[in-house]
Amino acid sequence: MSASEPTALERFLNGILPENPIYRQLLGMCPTLAVTGAMKPAMTMVAATAFVLIAANVIISLIRGLLKPHLRILVFTLTIATFVTIADRFLAAYVYEMSKQLGSYIPLIIVNCIIISRCEICASKQSVGVALADAVGMSLGFGLALGSIATVREILGAGQWFGVTVLPPDVWPSWGIMALPPGAFLTLGLLLALVNWIGQRRAESLALREKQSKG
Amino acid sequence: MSDEPRKGGYIPQAWLVILLALFYGAALAGTQTALGPRIEENKKNETYAVIPQLVEGASQEQTKAVVVTGQNGNEQPVYQARAADGTLQGWVLPAQGQGFADRIDLLIGVTPDVSTIVGLYVLDQKETPGLGALITGTKFQNQFRGISTDQPVVVVTSEPQAGQIRALTGATISSDSVADIVNQTIANLKEPIRKLER
Amino acid sequence: METLITLIQIAIGAALINNFVLHYFVGICPFLGVSRRIDTAFGMGCAVTFVISIAATLSWVFTYFILRPGAPLPAWIWQMAGGDASTQVNLSVLSYIVYIFVIAASVQFVEMYVRKFFPALYKSFGVFLPLITTNCAILFACLEIMKHLQDPMRLWALPEALTLAVGGGVGFTLAIVLMAGIREELDACDVPKPLRGPGIALIVAGILAMAFMGFAGVDRGIQSTLNAFLH
Repeated sequence: MSASEPTALERFLNGILPENPIYRQLLGMCPTLAVTGAMKPAMTMVAATAFVLIAANVIISLIRGLLKPHLRILVFTLTIATFVTIADRFLAAYVYEMSKQLGSYIPLIIVNCIIISRCEICASKQSVGVALADAVGMSLGFGLALGSIATVREILGAGQWFGVTVLPPDVWPSWGIMALPPGAFLTLGLLLALVNWIGQRRAESLALREKQSKG
Repeated sequence: MSDEPRKGGYIPQAWLVILLALFYGAALAGTQTALGPRIEENKKNETYAVIPQLVEGASQEQTKAVVVTGQNGNEQPVYQARAADGTLQGWVLPAQGQGFADRIDLLIGVTPDVSTIVGLYVLDQKETPGLGALITGTKFQNQFRGISTDQPVVVVTSEPQAGQIRALTGATISSDSVADIVNQTIANLKEPIRKLER
Repeated sequence: METLITLIQIAIGAALINNFVLHYFVGICPFLGVSRRIDTAFGMGCAVTFVISIAATLSWVFTYFILRPGAPLPAWIWQMAGGDASTQVNLSVLSYIVYIFVIAASVQFVEMYVRKFFPALYKSFGVFLPLITTNCAILFACLEIMKHLQDPMRLWALPEALTLAVGGGVGFTLAIVLMAGIREELDACDVPKPLRGPGIALIVAGILAMAFMGFAGVDRGIQSTLNAFLH
């Protein structure tokens, strides 16, 4: 392992904000849009994805020395598909209502680019500890992104948060559109712009400060 | 994909994949054995748990699925809702059809002689939230109680008379769809069920 | 005749009303990534439609004969091996793994076949083929087909499965080409800096999704019109 590889702490922190899978890398858009109509399904999705990501990252990292380069994608896919099936069965057995509501989006975790890209970028090159930290960081980043979108959509769309009424119907005429597909696209578009705007403002002020200190 | 030459046949190349496949296969078999019965139970309960709500006096334990051939020639299951002592309290007919947005799945409760609707329950729907999705509400569903099956259910937008239901505001098509599904299912299954053994 | 009406309903449902991209959000990655120019968008759409129909056919065959609850092949093997005929063999736990490998294999196969026999076609959309393996739209189509092969009383036959897949592929092409057309125009616009790139694309997609919501209920109308016409 070369010295330039990030450490466990760097990997962990990177996943949360600087390399946030949704807002920065634009990966895994399908569940991000589809299950964020309310907090409960969004958080179930995050938990399932986190389980698969952590399990896949750890296993790939454990066998990284034995991996033949031309078979690695096959091994990644096999691992991910197995853990997704296990997660799917668990949800169907213990939270059946939620599993019915999420429907096809649980198996679609298999083609969620976040997981395969983490296996490729981190787990197949670094030790178990780093891979675990990376997976946890990325899952937190994913959870943060889904949570923020679901919060906006559920509060504006139904006046609720986690199913608890925060804006009573007589104060807030729920915007039904926020719970529907267009609401997902609009919310993510605007939140993405907000994140970009904050990033750009910070970059500008940094540049300004540098200029001043030089001048 | 790689620069190294592929030497030594398939086994040295693929032993890891084969080993992993065996390992994962075992993991999946274990999960399925451990959780399979529970999942089947969940699926079954989804229907069975609402049967006491649909047919008064029915017991979940006594309910039994039987297969009936409808007048359109297709076989389908219906549920015998029986009281705890085993007397037939009514029938529950699973029904499905096209709604405004997607398929709607219903359960319809009827009296033992299939002459009157005693309850309606929406199992699954994807209608517009806030409008069509109100078909899951008890206010809409309770309108079907006590309607005779001699005539098809009619959807009206004014004050409903006997045998009529009032459409949901802003969701006439969803309301119509539910009534259509009910009418079709009852027309299809009424006579065949009457011929079934009690 | 009944079957034809069902097929028309499935096709319209998959292509317009419940558009794969704008209603189910599958295939968003290429939708945002490859929708800058109309011709590349159309190439991507064709490639997806092509692969989706092959993958759907294969996965229908696998699901119908092997993976669904009560499938004939495992039951036959079970009985040959001396198993009890009353136990139902259920291999559906393997579905996801089988589907993802069916998709990967059909992408490989399509790529080889098209390169060998249709070089012109390969030139126009061959570059997109390797990207398709991780396109959720294909797996989603397989999963939808699987959903309709669970209840032994109402099984989908191959035509229904294929109609869903082709309808979904056409819907994907339609959405991505429309999007590319709008984005070509957007290049000439002064978009606020933070919204540039994916931000504005998502907002445009939101407006497109609203437009597509207008199709809701169309299939029901078509069904009743056709029924009235036939009887």
